[in-house]
Amino acid sequence: MGDALAKLMELRDDPFSMARGWKERTGGKAVGFFCCLASEEIIHAAGALPVRITGENRVTSKSGAHLQSYCCSLARTSLDMALTGDLDFIDGTVFVHTCDTMQRLSDIWRLNAGYAFHGDVVLPVRFEGDAALEYMREELASFRQRVSDNIGPVDDSALVESIKLYNRNRELLSELYRLRREDPGIIPSDEALWLVASSALMEKSEHNALLEGVIEDLKGASSDGSDAKVRLFAAGSVMDQWDFLKMVEDVGGTIVDDDFCTGHRYFDAEVPVDVDPIEGIARRLADRGSCPCKYLPSRDRAGCLLDRAGEAGARGAVFFQFKFCDPHSFDYPYIKKALDEEGIPSLHLEIEHDSVSTEQLRTRVEALLETIRGC
Amino acid sequence: MPVAGVDIGSLTAKAVILDDGRTIGKSLVMTGHNSRVAGRKALDLALMDAGLEEGGLGRIIATGYGRLSADFSSENVTEITCHARGAHATHPEARTVIDLGGQDSKAIAIDENGRVVDFVMNDKCAAGTGRFLEVMAGALEVELDDLGGISLKSESPAPVSSACTVFAESEVISRVAEGVSKVDIIAGIHQAIASRIYAMSVRIPVNERIIITGGVARNIGVVRALEKRFETDIIIPEMPQHMGALGAALIARERAG
Repeated sequence: MGDALAKLMELRDDPFSMARGWKERTGGKAVGFFCCLASEEIIHAAGALPVRITGENRVTSKSGAHLQSYCCSLARTSLDMALTGDLDFIDGTVFVHTCDTMQRLSDIWRLNAGYAFHGDVVLPVRFEGDAALEYMREELASFRQRVSDNIGPVDDSALVESIKLYNRNRELLSELYRLRREDPGIIPSDEALWLVASSALMEKSEHNALLEGVIEDLKGASSDGSDAKVRLFAAGSVMDQWDFLKMVEDVGGTIVDDDFCTGHRYFDAEVPVDVDPIEGIARRLADRGSCPCKYLPSRDRAGCLLDRAGEAGARGAVFFQFKFCDPHSFDYPYIKKALDEEGIPSLHLEIEHDSVSTEQLRTRVEALLETIRGC
Repeated sequence: MPVAGVDIGSLTAKAVILDDGRTIGKSLVMTGHNSRVAGRKALDLALMDAGLEEGGLGRIIATGYGRLSADFSSENVTEITCHARGAHATHPEARTVIDLGGQDSKAIAIDENGRVVDFVMNDKCAAGTGRFLEVMAGALEVELDDLGGISLKSESPAPVSSACTVFAESEVISRVAEGVSKVDIIAGIHQAIASRIYAMSVRIPVNERIIITGGVARNIGVVRALEKRFETDIIIPEMPQHMGALGAALIARERAG
């Protein structure tokens, strides 16, 4: 393991240490966000640090009083982190309307978490077409104004610089995925996915510098051509279950490409830089491949995922979903059908942050691998 | 050379010894708290049954949730693959295996060669498992093994709406308080299990014929309720609890060459 990778891996056990450290060093503000549709560039251009909140494995103590039992564990554990003071370093939070739970959580959060800044970004459900683009431009401009008023001024030149920094990060992460498609053995899935997840937890320029080091090392690395593990494609929302990913590697599988919002969806598509920055951010959202929370009529999500699974040489697929996640559950049957028609075996796993049982999942993953190998 | 399959389940551990494709020894013991010890005991008893010493065995394959704890096997295979293989060996016409074990339930779609095509398992919920029936038998003060026979006498099964072990138990107690007969309550419980298993199973392609494995297959009331729900006859193999161990032994034989 190279120095840059080792440095990033050290941070995995304490994901918010980077944000805390940055605040101490700079005295700047940290703004929490949940969804990868939140326009981090705007927050960044205001001089603040966008920090992604994705819940954590914990037994909740305080959030149960505010949420219905059918809310996903992402909402449940994140709110618990806020209510127990574990997010005391953040100065505000941004919510994007992606599903009913997140929309309701925004209100509950605003009333109970007590952070100085609260932003809602209500994007259209349908991303394509002139009307959608105009709506997105206006909503993003309005969000920029709220950030300017509450966090710090967002001028055009700062926004353009932030966009360049973020685009560079997307370029580097795309390169990481390309290298893994060529030779997945150079870095295990859990480390590769942490490289993406950590990007949303630290200052982008620092992450870019580390990522450049990691990619340089990986370019020179080789797993001796021993592509022995079964290549898998995985889909879901947040992937922060490192023990699960390590287990998949242990039993002989590797996730070569994915459709996680803390994975490929996070860095998919770059912001065009030859247009007005807000226009560019809006266009990127519509240019991204697929998202279960948004509707892109011209694109067939199952077809997109199948194409990517094919390019990755995946022999099987794993759906990794949080219990009660409506958008993903709604898409699952038709994506599963498309995989079945292509003869790609798949596995549907449903988990919750507050009761992860990796051993129980092991049997299912092993059985999938046995099915693929024809054991 | 004889081979063995050892299936260490949550409730019971089973072993099957095969010689030339024929079962020459088998055993079943309670798993208890130590799955490694239970697996060893099951293997020893099966060896005794077959009149063999351990040295006389070729390959041993472990399966079941305790498979990783087995120190006597060189390999382990999941119970999903093993149940499919065991069921196919005894009933090649089977295309769907419904395995109702001590603490989990699963449906497995298999092809004409006994290979797994797709499968689905219960999550943490114990509904439809042996544990669920144990709790219900306890609540009704009926022997576990008598549940099946009793329920067949029912002419109007009492509706038990919830298949959740905890909720169903309180619902059953309410029915008892209402004066509903045990016969009808038990038949209602079996129907609730069948509905639950049906709802889980149809997430994979369910093709005929269906075979049931695992300890719950010994409950004729559950099997009849499942037949009604799936609208087809279900095969009950001779040794439903040993299907996983048999499958493991068959894989051991294949791998032994």
